[in-house]
Amino acid sequence: MPVTLVDRLPLPNLKVYTAGSVSLLSIAVYYALSVTSDPNWRSNATLGRQDAMEPAGEERALPAPALGASRNVSEQFVDVLTFMMQEPLCMWTLINIAYCSLAVFGFGVQRLVFGQLRVAEAQRVKDKFWNYVFYKFIFVFGVINVQYMDEVLLWCSWFTLVGFLHLLGQLCKDRYEYLSSSPNTGGWAHVRLACLLGGILAAATALLGAAAAWGLPAGRDTFAFMAAECILVLVAVLHVAARYVLQLYEADVAGPAAYYTHLVFDSVSLVVELLHVLHMVVYSNMLVSMASLVLLMQLRHLLHELQARVRRHRLYTELATHMSRNYPMASKEEVEKNQDNCAICWEPMKEARKLPCSHLFHNSCLCQWVQQDASCPTCRRALAAAGAARPHSDAAARHPNHLFHFDGSRYVSWLPSFSVEVTRVRPEAALAGAQLDAAAAQLQLMFPQYSRHALASDLARTRSADLTLDNILEGRLPERPDMIVPEPINPSVIAPEPTPAPVPSSPALVVPSTPAPVVPSSPVPVLSSSPAPVMPSSPAPETSSSPAPIAASSPAPVAASSPAPVLVDVATVTATSAGPFASAPSGSWSPRGLYELDDSPGVRFSGTAEEREQALARRKEALLSAARRRYLDRVARVAPPPTHVSPAPQAPPH
Amino acid sequence: MAGSALRRLMAEYKQLTINPPEGIIAGPINEENFFEWEALITGPEGTCFEGGIFPAKLVFPPDYPLSPPKMQFICEMFHPNIYSDGRVCISILHAPGDDPMGYESSAERWSPVQSVEKILLSVVSMLAEPNDESGANVDAAKMWREDRDQFNKIAERLVRKTLGLPPP
Repeated sequence: MPVTLVDRLPLPNLKVYTAGSVSLLSIAVYYALSVTSDPNWRSNATLGRQDAMEPAGEERALPAPALGASRNVSEQFVDVLTFMMQEPLCMWTLINIAYCSLAVFGFGVQRLVFGQLRVAEAQRVKDKFWNYVFYKFIFVFGVINVQYMDEVLLWCSWFTLVGFLHLLGQLCKDRYEYLSSSPNTGGWAHVRLACLLGGILAAATALLGAAAAWGLPAGRDTFAFMAAECILVLVAVLHVAARYVLQLYEADVAGPAAYYTHLVFDSVSLVVELLHVLHMVVYSNMLVSMASLVLLMQLRHLLHELQARVRRHRLYTELATHMSRNYPMASKEEVEKNQDNCAICWEPMKEARKLPCSHLFHNSCLCQWVQQDASCPTCRRALAAAGAARPHSDAAARHPNHLFHFDGSRYVSWLPSFSVEVTRVRPEAALAGAQLDAAAAQLQLMFPQYSRHALASDLARTRSADLTLDNILEGRLPERPDMIVPEPINPSVIAPEPTPAPVPSSPALVVPSTPAPVVPSSPVPVLSSSPAPVMPSSPAPETSSSPAPIAASSPAPVAASSPAPVLVDVATVTATSAGPFASAPSGSWSPRGLYELDDSPGVRFSGTAEEREQALARRKEALLSAARRRYLDRVARVAPPPTHVSPAPQAPPH
Repeated sequence: MAGSALRRLMAEYKQLTINPPEGIIAGPINEENFFEWEALITGPEGTCFEGGIFPAKLVFPPDYPLSPPKMQFICEMFHPNIYSDGRVCISILHAPGDDPMGYESSAERWSPVQSVEKILLSVVSMLAEPNDESGANVDAAKMWREDRDQFNKIAERLVRKTLGLPPP
């Protein structure tokens, strides 16, 4: 892409550029002064180069000698200016100084409103700038195909102004996102940003007026080209402003109002840009050229983006109707009974939507999540997604989870990437009849404490063995009260590495199934040195398929955690530590109290950012020094076991 | 969008500060950028990483908790599930959409009910119990399987390094 090519060009910094421009200007002015100090300079100049000199100049040149040296300053100024406009070198100097002052102005605005730019912002502005330059170059020389220098100059100055507003708008957008995500920003930053937004808005409107004033006489095409750019700037800035307004009214970020605002702005800007590019392609009328190739690529990219937006919108509306039809809002009592906050945003719920698995969430939070993944965030139960009504093709059957991925950075580095996944529940996977009985029997083998009837009825409800298994593991299934004591389980079922530690044959014991994982060859029974073995050796895939011992010893509901193959399921540890080691603390995964930390739980959470940062740094320091002390103690006290490498020679036992 | 992410991160930070899990500290280093945290993780007892304090960087997306954060150790690490540049490869950190390894079911992946605390606890478990099947670091996975002594030796060196102690 063009960005990477031009990114490495060495650009002088602003100071050098300004100094150079100013000195160039002063040289040019000095030259102009020295030339115009001769009262007859006009006739000299006209004799030399300006054959097309206007007659007005000739007429005015005549009375000049009569006035002689009594010319006042303003007249001299006009003279100098006229001369400089005519002399090509001076003219370029003037243009250069105009660009320079625009750059200085932009820099001033940036310092005033944004302060130091963040790295991401600077990078994005840079990307956008080069992209803009690239496409406008294509436009001027590929589409409009200008022949005369004046035209090039006019278009360049136009695009400079529009591009300047574009960049400022981009900065505003980035900064707005940053400000609204930062916890401690003063109101002034917002006020300055709002002022700048107003300024850009006014400037863009003025440019639009200019386009109408100068573009229209030059033809409708020219006007359309000029206006499209202004409209794009206007839409972008208005979008940021609308987000401000939404925020001001504390609108729900995922509510319909906010959603449709974003939708309108996104689609308007996409459509305008699409039409703009299409217009260029039609106007240039050369289907086989580099310029049209670039334009067509851009067109394709824009179409893709528009398509993605429309698809996202369709998904959204489908989901919204689907959810409101199938998952009713929870009743008042249910919300009151449910003490928990919304599991997605961790904020209290006044009203909530209830999923079939009886988990409650904020409506907007759930909406946002379901757009990504159609499943319950807590129990991962697939929600019969909106796509279920679509015809069932083979491909859909093989990939029940449809994934749409858009990688924006493939096109332009500042574009975002996102993916959308729709999960469908296939009806043929549901259990019924004899299958159901068989599944219930199988489950009862694994969970003898549940009655066959309870299992069968739950299976009939969930229609999936996996979901019932989840229900059992999370304690949502009522169990038979007379069978809480679990049966002894052969440890070899889940222990991949046989442990040398003697296996006591107490019926309620599950822990031997978790050998010391790291030092299997150690003759010392490691379990005795560290109660509540932190690491039950759970071979990755087997854990989820043979969860029997976990649930057998822990009928209590366990916090939902999605078992990952890489991870030890938190539930496993909780369950095992609750077994024979009654002294071992249960409920948390790690042996709390095994080591004393300076910062015990209950550290104050300060209200100011500075204190929090300092407290965090202190706590880190304390943790590190405590760990260091403990490590040295351990090395000094315990002779390191043979499997534990590096006998520390400098630390003899006391 | 970002506002709700921020509130949630603040709530998590508060919870992690007031009621921290044993041996774990996490929080934004500089609150100017609340979306980048640093975490300290204590190597789990009874494993070759015991006693080490491993620093890691957590970078949160603007739409957190809808998308998972990225986690990267900023100390030298040698572990089957940690890439050589420190990135952590566990399924809880993978968004439901992407499946780099091609075998995880979406049930094992990120969901908004997960939290920083759960991620860090998962990472502690991962330190203790590597999964040598999804090898982010093939060398480490191989050594873990075949030459455990050598692996333990390297781990011991890393532990000492994180504590700022000279190698034995």
